[in-house]
Amino acid sequence: MKKIVIDPITRIEGHLRVEVEVDEEGVVQEAYASGQLFRGIEIILKNRDPRDAGLLAGRICGVCTNSHFRAAISSVEDAYDIKPPDNARIIRDLMAMALFIQDHVVHFYHLHSLDFVDVTSALKADAALTSLQALKYSKNPYRNSATHYTEVLAKLQNFVKAGKLGPFANGYWGHSAYKLTPEQNLIIISHYLEALKFQTNISKAVAIFGGKTPHPQSIVVGGVTSVADMLNPQRLNDYIFSIKEAKEFVERAYLSDMKLLATAYRNEIKEGLGRANGNFLAVGGYAFDEEQKLFSSGVIYGHDFSKIEEFDESKISEEIDRAWYSGDSIDNEICYTDLNEDGTLKTAKSSDKYSWIKAPRYDAKSMESGPLARVLVSYLKGNKLIKPFVDEFLQDTNLELMDLSSTVGRNAARAIESLYVCEYIFKLVSRLLQNIKYYNTDTWTKYDFEKLPKSAKGRAFFEVPRGVLSHHISIKEQKIQNYSVIAPTTWNASPKDKEGKRGAYEEALLGIKIQDVTKPLEVLRVIHSFDPCLACAVHVIETKGKELGMYKIKTL
Amino acid sequence: MRLLIIGGGIAAVFFANNIKKANSSVDVTILSEEKHEPYDRIHLCRLVDESATIGEISLPLDPSVHLELNQKIIKIDKQSRRVYSKDAMFGYDKLIIATGSLPNAPSYIKGVKNAAVFRSADDCELIKDGVKEREVVLVGGGPIGLELLETLSKMPEIKKIFLLIRSNFLYDKNLSSEAMKIIEQSYTKEKKVEICFEDEILDTVIENAEIKLLKTKEKEIKNPFLIFGIGIRPNIESFREDLACNRGILTNTFMQSEDENIYAIGECSEVEKFAFVAGHVEACTQQARSAISHILQNEPQEFEPKTTIDMLKVGEFTLVDARSPKFGKEYEKVVISKENSVDEYFLKNRKVLRYIGINSNVDVCYIQNLIQSAKAIELDALYRAAKIGKRGKLVCGCTGAYYNDLVEIVAQNGVNSFADLAEFSQAGRVCGKCRGEVVKIIKESQHLIDASVVKKSPKDKELEKKLQEAKKRVAKFNKEHPHNTLDENNLDAALESMDIAKDEVNRWVSMVTANMQLHPKFEDIVAKGVKSLNKIPIIWLELADCSGNSEAFIKSANPAIEDLIFDYISLDYHELLMSASGDESESLLEEIIKNQKGEYILMVEGAVPLGLDGKYLRMGSKGETGIELLKRCAKDAAFVIAVGSCAFDGGVVAAAPNPTGAIGVSEALKREDIINISGCPTNPVNIVGTLLYYMMFEEMPPLDKFNRPLWAYEGRVHDNCERRGHFELGEFVEEWGDEGAKKGWCLFKMGCKGPYAYVNCPTMKFNKGTSWPVQAGHGCMACTEKGFFDKFANERVYKGDRE
Repeated sequence: MKKIVIDPITRIEGHLRVEVEVDEEGVVQEAYASGQLFRGIEIILKNRDPRDAGLLAGRICGVCTNSHFRAAISSVEDAYDIKPPDNARIIRDLMAMALFIQDHVVHFYHLHSLDFVDVTSALKADAALTSLQALKYSKNPYRNSATHYTEVLAKLQNFVKAGKLGPFANGYWGHSAYKLTPEQNLIIISHYLEALKFQTNISKAVAIFGGKTPHPQSIVVGGVTSVADMLNPQRLNDYIFSIKEAKEFVERAYLSDMKLLATAYRNEIKEGLGRANGNFLAVGGYAFDEEQKLFSSGVIYGHDFSKIEEFDESKISEEIDRAWYSGDSIDNEICYTDLNEDGTLKTAKSSDKYSWIKAPRYDAKSMESGPLARVLVSYLKGNKLIKPFVDEFLQDTNLELMDLSSTVGRNAARAIESLYVCEYIFKLVSRLLQNIKYYNTDTWTKYDFEKLPKSAKGRAFFEVPRGVLSHHISIKEQKIQNYSVIAPTTWNASPKDKEGKRGAYEEALLGIKIQDVTKPLEVLRVIHSFDPCLACAVHVIETKGKELGMYKIKTL
Repeated sequence: MRLLIIGGGIAAVFFANNIKKANSSVDVTILSEEKHEPYDRIHLCRLVDESATIGEISLPLDPSVHLELNQKIIKIDKQSRRVYSKDAMFGYDKLIIATGSLPNAPSYIKGVKNAAVFRSADDCELIKDGVKEREVVLVGGGPIGLELLETLSKMPEIKKIFLLIRSNFLYDKNLSSEAMKIIEQSYTKEKKVEICFEDEILDTVIENAEIKLLKTKEKEIKNPFLIFGIGIRPNIESFREDLACNRGILTNTFMQSEDENIYAIGECSEVEKFAFVAGHVEACTQQARSAISHILQNEPQEFEPKTTIDMLKVGEFTLVDARSPKFGKEYEKVVISKENSVDEYFLKNRKVLRYIGINSNVDVCYIQNLIQSAKAIELDALYRAAKIGKRGKLVCGCTGAYYNDLVEIVAQNGVNSFADLAEFSQAGRVCGKCRGEVVKIIKESQHLIDASVVKKSPKDKELEKKLQEAKKRVAKFNKEHPHNTLDENNLDAALESMDIAKDEVNRWVSMVTANMQLHPKFEDIVAKGVKSLNKIPIIWLELADCSGNSEAFIKSANPAIEDLIFDYISLDYHELLMSASGDESESLLEEIIKNQKGEYILMVEGAVPLGLDGKYLRMGSKGETGIELLKRCAKDAAFVIAVGSCAFDGGVVAAAPNPTGAIGVSEALKREDIINISGCPTNPVNIVGTLLYYMMFEEMPPLDKFNRPLWAYEGRVHDNCERRGHFELGEFVEEWGDEGAKKGWCLFKMGCKGPYAYVNCPTMKFNKGTSWPVQAGHGCMACTEKGFFDKFANERVYKGDRE
């Protein structure tokens, strides 16, 4: 058995370490995912005015920023039973959905594509041939002229000639796991560069209603503040056109690149590489009206697609046996047991602690959450809105639903969802315009803070780009008494629990064959396919919070 | 670093202000058990006779110090470095105990309405209201008792005062009978005060929490008001279990207790080496300095008891008491007595150990030196000393400032006010006793200021400025042209020759045009100008962060991010974007540090956690801590730029109670040359703009006091705000979504912190100029300013640090 340490895992948010144990064949027998940074935002939230939770909790993550901002405010609203007006909810949704698109595109191109695309191979591509090949995956490929590809090639060559590879330095170039032709590589690299522009532009859509992004600043308990923007036709129009522009890219570049990838890496998909234990969790959300929601909620166990259970929040629990916490008393909430002398994780004993991430469990099982879970649950629950998007992709790539539960499949789900979101944003924005058209311009629900209950408890569940996010707050004497967060990456990057059950990352790594242990590209692929966000993932837990009988989630 | 100070008196405030002055980035919190902001106990008498309000005797506190009132600390947890009050918990890196003293008093007066001690503002409140129209019994004839007696005797609403003294002396048992007589007479001239020597309370009759009758050996007083001024003891009961104590908390000469993270200063501490418990402001401040030097690891200033000077200025007499720490029970005494003045010298082996003067003309500083130097003297010398010197009489014992010194400072520097004086002398500012006198001297000396003398004419000043500018230009030219330097001594010629510089093609223009298809003629010109097109190597480290600044950075628009990172800079190490992971990325980092020593720019995002030996953050296969990695990368960087608020001062990660002991980059590296680009996140315009400045002008931009580039951080948000007009017109948003909100009125009443924030958001905006928080109707939260999460990140009007 040989242990491979990968730290830092780059092209993710935050500080993640992965250690895998491989046999002589290089096949992964055991895996450990470990969060390596602790900040204690929940501790900082304690004793503050509940109305300040949003601005502070937003800083949990600069990538998923408006997700936490909104979830924090919503949990306070839930505690006080304040219902923001329809317009405020729509504006919050519009910001959230623009973030879905921005996040997914940045994730695939800038954080993940280089695991599948060999930049040095792209240099050998023929521009004219590239233009021709791109037509295989899209009727109308994005910026598909031979002259454009020639320009991209020149840019890359300049770059290589200058000897300064910048972000491309020291990649695993030439690795035998790279499967694309030079032309296919060039197509995606071209989109890599275009996507840098894309994400700058789509972020304007968030900023129109949020003031800025990252870390927007327009959500308050009871509603939103950007009422003047909402009443400005030019701003509304700018938002609509940003999404229109984004949809072009998502459809003609992102989704078609995913079809390219699914074709080229078909064997890997069919082998089920990167598949986790098949437990999926989705809480659903983004309602258009009383009946239709963008995403459905539900639970799948062990890839049993015939039975979708209803989501029940009381089944969520958290464990810390293998994480650097202990729950006996408030004095000992942090229980750091350090690394081994050689810098590796302490994992020799089945009780050793090795991560700052706690282990959330649903019905005592480790779950996968994220775009794949969302797409599977929504599809299998017969969500009519999403069905055609999934069917079309599976048909074009000649794949089955089960194939999505794989490394490449996770990406496919993300791309399908992006296009789906793009289209339905228009329906949502239309609803906002109709409200204003008939003179409903409310953006805030009035309340008198002094007259609100002195003690209250609340929580908020959201589907956010990386999966299920929940914030849980307990208020006493109008101050935050306890706060707890379970983020998507908390679910996915969870360490083992006391029964040794692995988290989703760890499950997905089992059985992966690493061709060259000094260049563990295969491990990066699996991990990146989850879109890790470590700043989000690390949260304190305190098992002393018994008085919070309302939830099994125990807040500090 | 988080510093927690328990106690709200002079020692605590002096410590807080001075450590902030020495290092503005430390996080200082004062926990005071009183309900009032810190005030100067020396002036308590003024609260009794209502000649001052508590506000007027408050101690100025650095605004960046956090103050928590009503926090009586009941428990210390040394292990986890936390302290607990009844309802709160505070974490610390270093704890400073400065709880001062408690007054001695018999227990029966607790809860009694007409009895008090004299130590706090609350006591004064009680005394002030209680003494009216009553006979007052004051117990204790020491300095505290005498000072209060003076105040009470002047209050017309008091009919009679009995000063009860168990022994037979006033002020100090060593005082001569001559001196004592002067003091006694000054009080008893009016019949209002009666001093009862060798008398004490024998019995009290208390009904309904009120003393109805008080019996002493000599007297029976009905319905009195009873005040105890019989001495003090260190206030350390909460700490006895956890720390080694004798009279006070035992410390070394750096005021460090047996726990290396806990210090004790002022009256609650006992310096073990000297068995010394402070009783004077001077000693308390000296102890604070020793502790500060130790905590900040500056030049060590060990504490050593010094000769102290006490002054008691009461009505008709002035008492000066200079005492060596070596003064003990054995001495010989020389008393020089005149009609209404007494000089008493206490000697041992012909060395003066103490001096007490009543209404004396002796030069106190001379005496102080005499005591301090511990030289043997002839007795004659004492008789000669008794004369006021050229410098006039001593005004401020703490700083050794004499009357004429102060007059001269005022006259020569045109000092108009007490505030102006601070620049030249700290007289009146240390213990504050002589403040009134100093103010009077300033006022009386105004006529001596010569209005006609102007030090420099405007013309001279202008000329000097021009000369400096010319020198600066030539120096910059010489730096850029090491092989063609100009003569700095012949400025005229040098300035003429500088025209060469105008013909060069600027480096940035060369870079931008290098990969463009230019007209052949222009290409030639540019080619000549191309000095070095080396892209700037950049290492971007993420520490305890949220990647918000990286996310912001990749949204740069001018130049667009793809051009920026592929054409103009070489983003060699950035974990969010780089292809290499694990060992490959680690070796890449090592190569840059080794091969591009002194060339690369280090950008740091995120705070530096120091708690748990830095292990809250570990990176790389060897588990290097964040602080270790930062130090390794910073050592050979051309510049270090701290991006975002967490890198600036710890940001949200360091917000109270700063659970991971996080600090900013500059503090972590203990370097003053770190460039800060604060903001949460910072506007990418300010990151790129600062790099552009470097590429265009070949130096880093001028910086403000927090080392932030002036071009971005000079203007105040409020002054450049698009809603400022509504502020001037008094048009405010009153609640979210109201008519004013729809019309874009001023957000000040909704808690906008624009008046406290210095940054260019109103002009540059975010996301390609799309918006900024004020435009989005929320208001600014001053995210570019120090400690903003604890001060400004809310939607309420800011009411100052003492909210």
